[in-house]
Amino acid sequence: MVSHSEIKEQALRISIQGVTKTYGDFFALNNVSLDIEAGEFLTLLGPSGSGKTTLLMVLAGFIRPNQGQVFFGSEDIVLKPPHLRGVGMVFQNYALFPHMSVEQNVAYPLKLRRKTKDEISQGVQEALDTVKLAGLGNRKIGQLSGGQRQRVALARAIVFKPKVLLMDEPLSALDKKLREEMQIELRRLHDNLAITTVYVTHDQKEALTMSDRIAVINHGILNQLGLPQEIYSNPTNAFIADFIGESTLLPVEVRDSTPRFGESIISVNHDVGSDGSYVLVVRPEKLLLVTDESTAPNRFPCTVEESIFQGESQLLIVRLDTMKSGDKEPYRLNVRIANTSANSAVIPQVGDSICVALEKVDSFIVKQE
Amino acid sequence: MTAIVVNEINIKSLRQQETKERLVMIGLTIPYLLIVILLIIVPIGWLFGTSFVDQDGSFTFKHYVRLVESKAYYRIFITTFEISIFTTLICILIGYPLTYFISQLPRRFANLCMIAVLIPFWTSLLVRTYAWLVLLQRKGLLNNFGIELGLLSEPLPLMHNMTGTLIGMVHIMLPFLILPLYANMRAIDTDYLKAASSMGANQLRAFWTIFFPLSVPGLLAGSLIVFVICLGFYVTPAVLGGGKVIMVSMKIQSNIELFFSWGAASALGVVLLVMTIAILYIASKFVSLDQMSSRG
Amino acid sequence: MLLKHKLALAFTLFLGSILTVNANELSVASWGGSYQHAQSTALFQPAAAAMGITVNEETYGGMSDVKLKVNAGATVWDIVASGSGGCAAAAAEGILEELDYSIIDVSDFYPGLYMDHCVGGDVFSTVMAYNTETYGDNGPQNWADFWDVEKFPGKRAYRAKVDGALEPAIMADGVPIDQVYEVLNSVEGIERALNKIRELKPHIAVFWTSGAQHAQLMKDGEVDMTTGWNGRFDVAKKDGAKVRYSFDQALLDYDGYAIPKGAANKDLAMQFLNEISKPQYQAEFVKYITYGPTNKKAYDLGTIDDALSRALPSHPDNVKLQVPVSIEWYSKWKPIAAEMYAEMLTE
Repeated sequence: MVSHSEIKEQALRISIQGVTKTYGDFFALNNVSLDIEAGEFLTLLGPSGSGKTTLLMVLAGFIRPNQGQVFFGSEDIVLKPPHLRGVGMVFQNYALFPHMSVEQNVAYPLKLRRKTKDEISQGVQEALDTVKLAGLGNRKIGQLSGGQRQRVALARAIVFKPKVLLMDEPLSALDKKLREEMQIELRRLHDNLAITTVYVTHDQKEALTMSDRIAVINHGILNQLGLPQEIYSNPTNAFIADFIGESTLLPVEVRDSTPRFGESIISVNHDVGSDGSYVLVVRPEKLLLVTDESTAPNRFPCTVEESIFQGESQLLIVRLDTMKSGDKEPYRLNVRIANTSANSAVIPQVGDSICVALEKVDSFIVKQE
Repeated sequence: MTAIVVNEINIKSLRQQETKERLVMIGLTIPYLLIVILLIIVPIGWLFGTSFVDQDGSFTFKHYVRLVESKAYYRIFITTFEISIFTTLICILIGYPLTYFISQLPRRFANLCMIAVLIPFWTSLLVRTYAWLVLLQRKGLLNNFGIELGLLSEPLPLMHNMTGTLIGMVHIMLPFLILPLYANMRAIDTDYLKAASSMGANQLRAFWTIFFPLSVPGLLAGSLIVFVICLGFYVTPAVLGGGKVIMVSMKIQSNIELFFSWGAASALGVVLLVMTIAILYIASKFVSLDQMSSRG
Repeated sequence: MLLKHKLALAFTLFLGSILTVNANELSVASWGGSYQHAQSTALFQPAAAAMGITVNEETYGGMSDVKLKVNAGATVWDIVASGSGGCAAAAAEGILEELDYSIIDVSDFYPGLYMDHCVGGDVFSTVMAYNTETYGDNGPQNWADFWDVEKFPGKRAYRAKVDGALEPAIMADGVPIDQVYEVLNSVEGIERALNKIRELKPHIAVFWTSGAQHAQLMKDGEVDMTTGWNGRFDVAKKDGAKVRYSFDQALLDYDGYAIPKGAANKDLAMQFLNEISKPQYQAEFVKYITYGPTNKKAYDLGTIDDALSRALPSHPDNVKLQVPVSIEWYSKWKPIAAEMYAEMLTE
């Protein structure tokens, strides 16, 4: 076994600089710059059509950008054809060659590299061991389950020890349970190989689970790059706040550098910028049930409209009693309460008037889009 | 106990319903079965029967004996197979690259191309064959053009021979190769090629190791269709072969004139039919026959 | 059995309802091309008008078609046009109705231009035609020249069937016109003619199967020389083809009309044959295609001028240059010769 640091040294740093790709008037990528550290697990996260897959394809060489540079290490590889880039790639539908066995699929990149027979069979064995598929080498692709196919695709992508591993929504075809298992396993595999990995997904939870850092992309623009916690706790705009995690956005006004919801002043955990329209990002699990007498800063008196049992938690949908003038619909918030035995007594019933509060530390606002 | 009785009643009526549904499904095939029996089984049976009947109505093997004894039939079968094989090979050489090209186009353009491929289907076979006559004859467009441009010093013998027959047959058979092949190629995920190239295969390598093997079923199916249809071809060799390229189907026709009876022609027809079925049978060991008709 | 009969009856009735023609309609089949055009314009349609009936014309592939239809009990044609040889063979097969010469008036016919089952319609020749652009005025004159590929280089066309195909070969091999059928009267003789054709085969570009085809071949310049039917070449020439032929060593033959066995309108067909055998129709016919009349009286009408008369195969000056086709030889040897000829073609 090679030590982490050793491989990390071999891994490549990727630098994307000013990459733009247009289709007619449409900007698939708009001046994207992004540095990916050697050995890092970076996720490109965004809704469909955001440009995340386009960026991955630029890295793989299947899409030529209109402008910009892509460095693998110190080499600008924008003009290099895909087959010379030496990246391992896992496709969304796995793209396993149906006319070859598992073994032949995994051996394919080694054969292209004119390895000897022994080197090939040894490499294939190692790769299949790594993805826990030892013994299935002779199977036809058609005989494999979805999860097994996913593993073969992975084995094939790493068997030639590429310096960069690209994955395009590799888990999207799996059912939830398997997907969650594979998330952990992929992450573990990455830690063992310490290969620079770029992972594309539209599943924010998956991104949070697996990534060293997340790059949120929307409309071809890099919105935010940061650690999962940063992205979750401090989204830089309303889109990210809405996209990452569960949240309800309440409109707030900033006047005289003070955020207000209706007439109530909202205390937030950060400096407030210029006056104008903002939204308060409310995470359901951060809301606290408080008594009317509580002194918690951001309090919202409300009525329980629905109470939904969700296993480990209870989801309450509450209607705020406060309405701003001119609003037609009352505001609603989602409140999540853990289903612990301690909580079972306090969970309110539908129709109860209650009060929920958001601690200052959990309160932040972002500019209205 | 009551519950069990109710269950038994349900079993019976459920089974009846199932039988009814099955009968309806079988009923759907009746028109087709009638057509097959009336238009295929009965005529073939009759054909088979007449091949053993002498002019005076008595039973005879003489029509088959003639096929074995006369060198003419041997030569005609050789010619027929030669033409069918060459036509198939040329169709592959021309059709494969073309189909590959079309299959790589964006769908809209590809559809336009496929319509262009199919347009000849809407024109009568005879008209198309005569069009080749105008193009290929000694003082036809091609030869005149070649001579005027100084490319040819004298007209090339492009028709009334094997060359002309092959040109005409390839033109007519090409769509039969392209259609199943195109369906097959379209179904090949482009990600396979991307995957291959991400692993280090250049385009040529990716084509030969991935795309080509995956297109083989379509290619085999198309080739088989072309070959088998060629075996029974009549119009094109009759018009473009100049009476010197004689295929089995033409001999069947001339046997009717020659012997004034069905017997001699039927025997030849039976032999051609048996050979065709044998070829299809052998081929079915290698190609799945569904592939021949499937579009995807 | 009963069911079978019922079915057969139902089927016949069904066919009958489609096919049974009105008593005032006749169905006539001929060879197509400029020949049938001439028949239609000069004979069929005027005669139909004169009789107040309707004639539906079709083209067909020869007596083998008739035989298949007659044997299947589905005779659809009332009259078929055919060469004399084809008629004779078909008569021997028993697929033709005997003609009633008390209805069809052949009293003014040349002798030998009608048979029990076939009444002659026109006299034609199988000739050698050549392209005047290729050979100028000194073109090939006889069958020996047709075979002489050194003196007359160029592509030939020849008939794909045995009819009229052995006689030229045997003459090219030196047999005089009055001994043609004598020499051919044995398998060896036929083989001799076939060998002569084998000799020429590399220079035969096309084996033609129809009169329309050999006319077109000459018109297109696809071949420089061909055998063929004289009238077709005259029509092609009128259309601008550079073609010439002579009656020297040509084969003199006649076309006729016959009634297939079981024809639906047999009696009307007899009357119709009588009508088109009248001189006024035959005299008109030659204007469209240079095939001579079978009815002597056609000349008496004065509508056939001297130049046209000399161009007809049946003109006495032309007749003496030619070999009259022997019906006897064809009825005796055709099946054997045809098979040998077909085999030679596959070589």
